[in-house]
Amino acid sequence: MEPEAKYESKAGDWRNYKRVLLPPVKDLQKLDVYRANGGYEALRSVLIDEKWDPKSVTEEVKASGLKGRGGASFPTGLKWSFMPPVKPGAPRFLCCNGDESEPGTYKDRQLLEYNPHLVFEGILIANYAMSIDVCYLYVRGEYADWITHIEKALADAYAAGLLGKNILGTDFSTEIVIHKGAGAYICGEETSLMESLEGKRAYPRIKPPFPAQRGLWGHPTTINNVETLACVPLIISNGSDWYAAIGAKNHTGPMLYGLAGHINRPGIFEYPSGMLISDLIYEVGGGMRGGKKLKAVVPGGSSVPPMRADQIEGVTMDGDSLRQAGSMLGTAGMLVLDEYTDMVTFLRRITHFYAHESCGQCTPCREGTGWLVDIVTRIDEGGGNLRDLDLLIDLCDGMEGRTVCALADAAAWPVRWTVTRFREEFEAKCRDSVFAIA
Amino acid sequence: MSGSKTVHLPQEPETTIPETDLVFSANELEQIEKYKAMYPTPQGAVMRVLWMAQEKFGYLPPEVIRLVAETLGLPYALVYGVSTFYTQYYKARVGKYVLDVCTCFACQVVGGCDVFSHLCDRLGIEDGGTSEDRLITLRQAECLGACGSGPMLQVANGPYVHNLTPERADDLIADLKRGKLPEFVSMTLPQDEDEMGGNRRTDVDNVDTYETQPVAERLSC
Ligand SMILES: Cc1cc2nc3c(=O)[nH]c(=O)nc-3n(C[C@H](O)[C@H](O)[C@H](O)COP(=O)(O)O)c2cc1C
Ligand code: SF4
Ligand code: FES
Repeated sequence: MEPEAKYESKAGDWRNYKRVLLPPVKDLQKLDVYRANGGYEALRSVLIDEKWDPKSVTEEVKASGLKGRGGASFPTGLKWSFMPPVKPGAPRFLCCNGDESEPGTYKDRQLLEYNPHLVFEGILIANYAMSIDVCYLYVRGEYADWITHIEKALADAYAAGLLGKNILGTDFSTEIVIHKGAGAYICGEETSLMESLEGKRAYPRIKPPFPAQRGLWGHPTTINNVETLACVPLIISNGSDWYAAIGAKNHTGPMLYGLAGHINRPGIFEYPSGMLISDLIYEVGGGMRGGKKLKAVVPGGSSVPPMRADQIEGVTMDGDSLRQAGSMLGTAGMLVLDEYTDMVTFLRRITHFYAHESCGQCTPCREGTGWLVDIVTRIDEGGGNLRDLDLLIDLCDGMEGRTVCALADAAAWPVRWTVTRFREEFEAKCRDSVFAIA
Repeated sequence: MSGSKTVHLPQEPETTIPETDLVFSANELEQIEKYKAMYPTPQGAVMRVLWMAQEKFGYLPPEVIRLVAETLGLPYALVYGVSTFYTQYYKARVGKYVLDVCTCFACQVVGGCDVFSHLCDRLGIEDGGTSEDRLITLRQAECLGACGSGPMLQVANGPYVHNLTPERADDLIADLKRGKLPEFVSMTLPQDEDEMGGNRRTDVDNVDTYETQPVAERLSC
């Protein structure tokens, strides 16, 4: 059952990998421990060494191949270079996206709990590279307990002169402000996040204009995920070549993988990108619970297309490989399902999520997510009809790519691909239905 | 936020907070000024002040919304609109402890619905209901970002309780009846267990590890 080195992992010698985002150091969340382990040295270098200026920092990040870890895998250095030239007197903002509400994803919480200063240092270097005045660290409201811990770490950094005015005695000044959300998945979407910060109902904005042109309060803004920014100090300290040599060539760097579901060893794991899905399940995750057979894998959060067990052979956790296999990397928070999972009931809960979380701005999304949950529920409860399966696909056609933000697509993809890839289960439920046409 | 076709008109909860209590103290006003200073406009502080008001008054009825609006110099409708956008702001009166039980997809498949149904039976209430003694309000929650330690729930917008079973849910209810709120729990990373022999933090008392849950009986609630 365990594929013995039949396929090549892009993660190299991952069994001997030394963690860098969450290195094995006790109490790394404390400022003195973080500094004793080389913390804030990348920031010092960036601010003091001749070699660095905003442009060279951005170029270094570009050369590292770092792609965003928030779900869309957009190249980070390229995103930074979209910021327009500095205009004196006009503020510029960064948003560090810690909203983390994508079902299946819980890496940013662990990173913020165990290594908050790495995130702060990444933010500070990003602020330097883009000449940013204030970074809002948006943390979902449910993480209230963690926010208390993060606020304490932030206060320590301020007290040590690592933040605020004239950082480390240089003329560079910048701030980090923690914003507490209050429970809305949509706030993770970058333009919705900005509306939320401005104190409005968080309806996503139409793009263009993109945030770099018109962002927070109309000023140039960049949005990056927590894990993305945590990679930045590592790139500066060790060089872009070092970073680019980790993991998959087209999707470089360390990656926080989440494992959940019917697996023996759930949790967050740090390994190079490009791990074989089979290695993650059978080696890292200790195999399927109770020795059951694998039925399905959702590789990166509820928004990505679920895969059948026979589709994961040789597939690695990077954008290219997963796209070829008919799914996406998303947030790398993987859900593993065993042979006893009812895929219809499973999909029903996903459709409920999107219907609940649609902001209601666009008709295809507001009405579409409602119809999806109604129809899947009807099938699940035994009132379905074989024609409903085509209706579901039609609905997905009417939603994908037709709305302000990508939530409608994220709602449609799991439906389209669960119905297509597990069609026999849906058909069986429809056939058992009292309304089935003989 | 709706996807269902039935239209629910927002129910205005009855006014229960006496006029004389409807004020922010000097300390609170000072804190509000600090919140305002965190954003270029006072409106940026609205979520923080709503949080503060909810902690003070327990929920956000119209008169509390009005107080927040007046304190920040914003239209009532705007603050009301913000408060209704987010699930963690309580628009109607709730029990002393709100239990948000995650039944979202990763918890669903490891028994989140079993735990939720168990709690419904145990407390004799349904989704969104409040127990007769007004101690507990039970809600189904969307993913709370702790999928590896599911099934899980959140108590009163505060601590998470991980790796739930019906028995542990019963223990929690017993604790809450005695007024004992669960403490913050730090989850040990599996790699830390291997490389560091346990949790990396020495400054928290409560530590738990990710567990594999028994087979779920129910997949839908
Ligand atoms: C509906 C929706 C929800 C999202 N939720 C999150 C989230 O919780 N956290 C996150 O970092 N990105 C989220 N994103 C992606 C962000 O819009 C944005 O692309 C990302 O934060 C950019 O950071 P990155 O380039 O570092 O990945 C979401 C996107 C959509 C469409
Ligand atoms: S796609 Fe859905 S969530 Fe996104 S803006 Fe439109 S209605 Fe809102
Ligand atoms: S699905 Fe329950 S915490 Fe993520």
